[in-house]
Amino acid sequence: MVEFWMRSIEDLGREEVMSIVDKELHGLYTEKYAPTRDLIIYFAPRENIREIIRRLMMFSYTRLSVIVGNDERYFRRDFSLTYIVSFDKQDLYIGVRTYLPEYDLEIASIADMVKAAWWNERENRDLYGIEFIGLKDKRKLVLPEYWPDDAHPWRKDYPYNKPVMDWREGLPDYKPVGRHEDLDVIGLGPYHMINDEPIHWRLYVKGETIVDAEHRGFHNWRGIEKIAEGRLTYNQIPFIAERICGICGFTHATSYVQAVESLAGIDIPDRARYIRSLMLEIERIESHLLWIGIACHILGFDTGFMLSWKIREHIMHLAEVLTGNRKTYGMDIVGGVRRDVLGDRLGKARDSVKKIRYEYRELYNMLINNSILVKRTRGVGVLPRNKAISYGVVGPVARATGLDIDVRRDHSYAAYKELSFDVPVYSEGDVLAITLVRLDEVFESLDLIEQILDALPGGPLAVDVKDIPENKEAVGVVEAPRGEDIHYVRSGLYNKIQRWRVRAPSYANIPPVKEMLIGYRLADAPIIYASVDPCLACTERYLVIDVDTGSKKIMTDDELRAKSRKLSTRIG
Amino acid sequence: MAKYFEKTDKWVVTFKYPLEPLEPPRELRGKPEINPDLCIGCGACAEACPPNAITKEIDYREGYAKIKIFYGRCIYCGRCWEVCPEGAIVLTNIFEMATPSKDDLIYEVNLELHTCSRCGRYTEFTERQVHRAYTLLTGIPRERRKELLDRMFLCRDCRRQVFSHDALRNRRTDKYGRASQTPF
Repeated sequence: MVEFWMRSIEDLGREEVMSIVDKELHGLYTEKYAPTRDLIIYFAPRENIREIIRRLMMFSYTRLSVIVGNDERYFRRDFSLTYIVSFDKQDLYIGVRTYLPEYDLEIASIADMVKAAWWNERENRDLYGIEFIGLKDKRKLVLPEYWPDDAHPWRKDYPYNKPVMDWREGLPDYKPVGRHEDLDVIGLGPYHMINDEPIHWRLYVKGETIVDAEHRGFHNWRGIEKIAEGRLTYNQIPFIAERICGICGFTHATSYVQAVESLAGIDIPDRARYIRSLMLEIERIESHLLWIGIACHILGFDTGFMLSWKIREHIMHLAEVLTGNRKTYGMDIVGGVRRDVLGDRLGKARDSVKKIRYEYRELYNMLINNSILVKRTRGVGVLPRNKAISYGVVGPVARATGLDIDVRRDHSYAAYKELSFDVPVYSEGDVLAITLVRLDEVFESLDLIEQILDALPGGPLAVDVKDIPENKEAVGVVEAPRGEDIHYVRSGLYNKIQRWRVRAPSYANIPPVKEMLIGYRLADAPIIYASVDPCLACTERYLVIDVDTGSKKIMTDDELRAKSRKLSTRIG
Repeated sequence: MAKYFEKTDKWVVTFKYPLEPLEPPRELRGKPEINPDLCIGCGACAEACPPNAITKEIDYREGYAKIKIFYGRCIYCGRCWEVCPEGAIVLTNIFEMATPSKDDLIYEVNLELHTCSRCGRYTEFTERQVHRAYTLLTGIPRERRKELLDRMFLCRDCRRQVFSHDALRNRRTDKYGRASQTPF
């Protein structure tokens, strides 16, 4: 077991930390350069990557954000891997890049050391064919099981609009790798109401207790990044980015747009920055209220569900008035925003905030004084702090385990530097702490909206963008309702991007659910993995397989939820 | 609690929508409509449209440019409305687009193509685009305007030919009165 965060650097400034990192990595890297203000890239041979990541993770408040693979054969005949490590207290991202020639795509895995690399390595293995030596989990992550092993969709010689393979007959099924022959297996999904995308969980249970869990997801993987690289221009991508997620779409659009602005060196007008912050906070309230409603519903507290969604409806009407649509705001464009907040809309926004604050305070009191809700969530689904660091969790899940990270404050963007807000942090790491973080954040967001409406500066909405420079790179980062949403963009030729990597917050928060489930009762499973807030998708049924007889029993969603509700009744 | 419900009872958020008509806010980004009288067929909307709901097709045989909007693909972002130079696209707040037939979701504007004044073939721009360009000439200095006016009504091939012909002729009669060593 590797110890993380041994060396405390959270009080040091950015320049100081940059020189410490230089000294620490001395001899391991060949050269370095800084593409933008907040991103430094070190070039290193592949043998040193493991050691570099280990040394970087020794500093406090660092985490492995994302591993970006790239096909650079048109520039230098190599594939590249960039390990982007976030230094949260210094507003700094450090990328470690290594080049792998086409005939020798092998690199040592770091997934046994830093769990955050687990999904990233599997994804790069699927999509670029890079082999990670020492990676135990050799299953496909993104692509389906029947996909040929030699077709890698994100290589540049793979066309974006033509299927390389045909649908074959007799598709092989998903085969679990669990070796628990003596245990009962409960499969949840792929269609399940508490995941935003179809995810299949296999829960290995002994009686009522969950012993192990296994995950298979990405049934809805669409390869949006390939479409964007293949045919869309810079200003068309914000609209497809907004459709990555149905709940936090605006954070994706903002994140992408910020990355492009950062690489092109565009300063957007003050008014645009404030309007982006306003919409992001509206989206956060909307998302948190949705989650509170779902959590209440799973625990059998339907009054809370109805009231929470009633409050949410006020904010949806407000968003419709401000942007022209309830959910897909369509406000972002490279260089600014598209719609202004004028006249009577300001008044409407203030009225809505007043209404929401009154109603939400009542709901808040009702929820935290509800003994069943507290008993069902306290001490359930505990994520230990060292595991949270290793998995690189973000957002409310991280803040519930005592990690004081918030991108709004740490990697400040939009107008957040000029606004004042608190970041609620709890240290228990259970579902109750996650719930309380979200409940507190809604109050902060309401405060932020009022501050923004009072301080909205005048001026233009967007600047004219002439040319996006070629072959530059940057990261854009936004605190989504679920945590850090990071986009890596590299610009290419002919007004197109060369590489776009989206790491949504749930990508970091879903893998640790495996750890959170173990040791708790089956009836706690829905609330545990609803607690990391994977978005909502509707479900049909669950499949229960009895291992001894091999018989299958169909268990409907209502039955499992009834089980969860029955537990609430018993506690109450 | 009773006080809470008493106060918040007025703030109704649900509507009896299919039974009663629903008045959307005037800010709603609804169905974009093309005004065929104002459209000049420049295709700026087709360039900007993120999901390719608006397309521009040119029929050289019949001599028409077709701006076609298919609402089945439309994501109601309003980019076409922003980029239209003529204000021909208007965002309405119509949102009830359900229909049993796909053909109801297609709207086309057919515009006549301009005919080249030199070779008589159809050009790739419309008659209205040429008229629009003509109106833009007023702000331009006289010598430049004459130069532009000569080429305005030509197709792209003829422009190239006329231009290279002019260039060659000018080159031949340079100030020393001798032919250039490199022809072009």
